[in-house]
Amino acid sequence: MKGLGNVIAIELKLAVRDPMAAFFALAFPAVILWVKMRNGGTLPGGLPAIDALVPMLSVFVVGLASLVVLPATLAQYRERHVLKRLRATPASSTMIFGAQWAAHMLLAVLGTALLTVIGLAAYGLSGPANLADVVLAWVLGALSLGSIGLLIGALVPSGRAATVIGLAVFFPMVFVSGAMSARETLPESMRSIGDLTPMAPAVQAIRAGWEGHPVSPLTLAVMAAIFIVAGGAALKAFRW
Amino acid sequence: MAVIEINGLQKSYRTHKALDSVTLTVERGEIFGILGPNGAGKTTVVECASGLRKPDGGTLRVLGMDPRTRRRELLQRIGAQLQEAALPDAIKVGEALQMYASFYDKPADWRALMQEWGLAEKKRARFAGLSGGWKQRLFIALALVGNPEVVFLDELTTGLDPDARRLTWGLIRDMRDRGVTVVLVTHFMDEAEALCDRIAVIDQGRVVHEGSPGELIDRSHADSLEDAYFTLIERTV
Ligand SMILES: Nc1ncnc2c1ncn2[C@@H]1O[C@H](COP(=O)(O)OP(=O)(O)OP(=O)(O)O)[C@@H](O)[C@H]1O
Ligand SMILES: [Mg+2]
Repeated sequence: MKGLGNVIAIELKLAVRDPMAAFFALAFPAVILWVKMRNGGTLPGGLPAIDALVPMLSVFVVGLASLVVLPATLAQYRERHVLKRLRATPASSTMIFGAQWAAHMLLAVLGTALLTVIGLAAYGLSGPANLADVVLAWVLGALSLGSIGLLIGALVPSGRAATVIGLAVFFPMVFVSGAMSARETLPESMRSIGDLTPMAPAVQAIRAGWEGHPVSPLTLAVMAAIFIVAGGAALKAFRW
Repeated sequence: MAVIEINGLQKSYRTHKALDSVTLTVERGEIFGILGPNGAGKTTVVECASGLRKPDGGTLRVLGMDPRTRRRELLQRIGAQLQEAALPDAIKVGEALQMYASFYDKPADWRALMQEWGLAEKKRARFAGLSGGWKQRLFIALALVGNPEVVFLDELTTGLDPDARRLTWGLIRDMRDRGVTVVLVTHFMDEAEALCDRIAVIDQGRVVHEGSPGELIDRSHADSLEDAYFTLIERTV
């Protein structure tokens, strides 16, 4: 893993320098938060909307960084022979994956922090009731969705195709999994479809931790399993 | 001592036979030129030897190692400037050198390398904004950043202005004088004549001529390597 820290730092700088990536991961979720809070109020069940929206949208950010930005970066590197040049160095594919994942998740950390700050400053957000649970759920969510993004990036031939596929996977998923509209406002039929997506356990676990409810071990186990299966498949499928 | 030993190397892309049977030996500390027409298989030889492609047949040893089985170990000790390569658009020259240096166990001082190759003034320039010649210089510096014992340079002076080309020649000689073995693929006959200790001419996936520039010139009763090259290639078609 020589050079891992270096590559992560540089990849993060590159992600922040890319106006599209920065917009999608930082500005876009903040705009959604603002739009949603114009209706404000409380959710069915009495929870203030902001206390659901910030954890939900943190999954939105992780999903966007994992499923859209990351695969596009990786596929574009392949298309333009950036990976080919790296292949002539001792850098391993595991290292490349690890660095891509870490850099994009740091981008998502920035996005999450921004949402939290806006929530606290402007909308009276209550802080996470159980920070340790939220962090654990967030990291597992980032690992599971990130490994799916790596798998897409490993398989898709061009950057353009990766963006199209990433968006096609991401958008339906955020709607039905409750990362965009709170689960309690979704119709029952939609919610049961959403529960089958890999984003649902992240939404449930992060929201539970934020509100101080016990986090279901099943959701954590599902995320860990997705990470192992999709991550293993991505490493196997990877071409330079 | 031989640093590269290639024997009967074969490589096909689907049905197309790129390397029919290539045999050549590169000695330690020499500048070894590979010449030949477009599509002859020069890049394929370099990519097999630097562990980027798996040959279909024949034997291949670089620094005594088979790139197929001891790839990672070999990559610590060789450097390559590829004919077809790129860096991320937004990466800066200094960042690229620093990052590549971090992959190696015993890297060169990337700041010194940046000075030596005249890249210091471009340290903060983004890759996408560099002209072809500056990109090329950066790729040469990246090939050297791991302190390699063997470097593969595939058409390294293509796109360089005459000044940069002469500068590059001087630096390649310096490299050799420090004991680095250089494998140089080129289409410039003046370059091959000025730099190479020995040359292999490849055509249709085979080495058709081998020798020092002087020997090749004598063999074809020519005045320059350029004339010799045309005579030699013609004889084999
Ligand atoms: N990835 C590939 N897929 C299919 N065919 C290829 C591939 N790479 C090279 N070839 C073919 O193999 C042959 C040898 O190619 P190679 O790139 O080794 O030639 P070269 O001597 O380096 O040529 P040039 O002087 O143009 O760089 C060519 O006919 C080329 O079309
Ligand atoms: Mg070539």
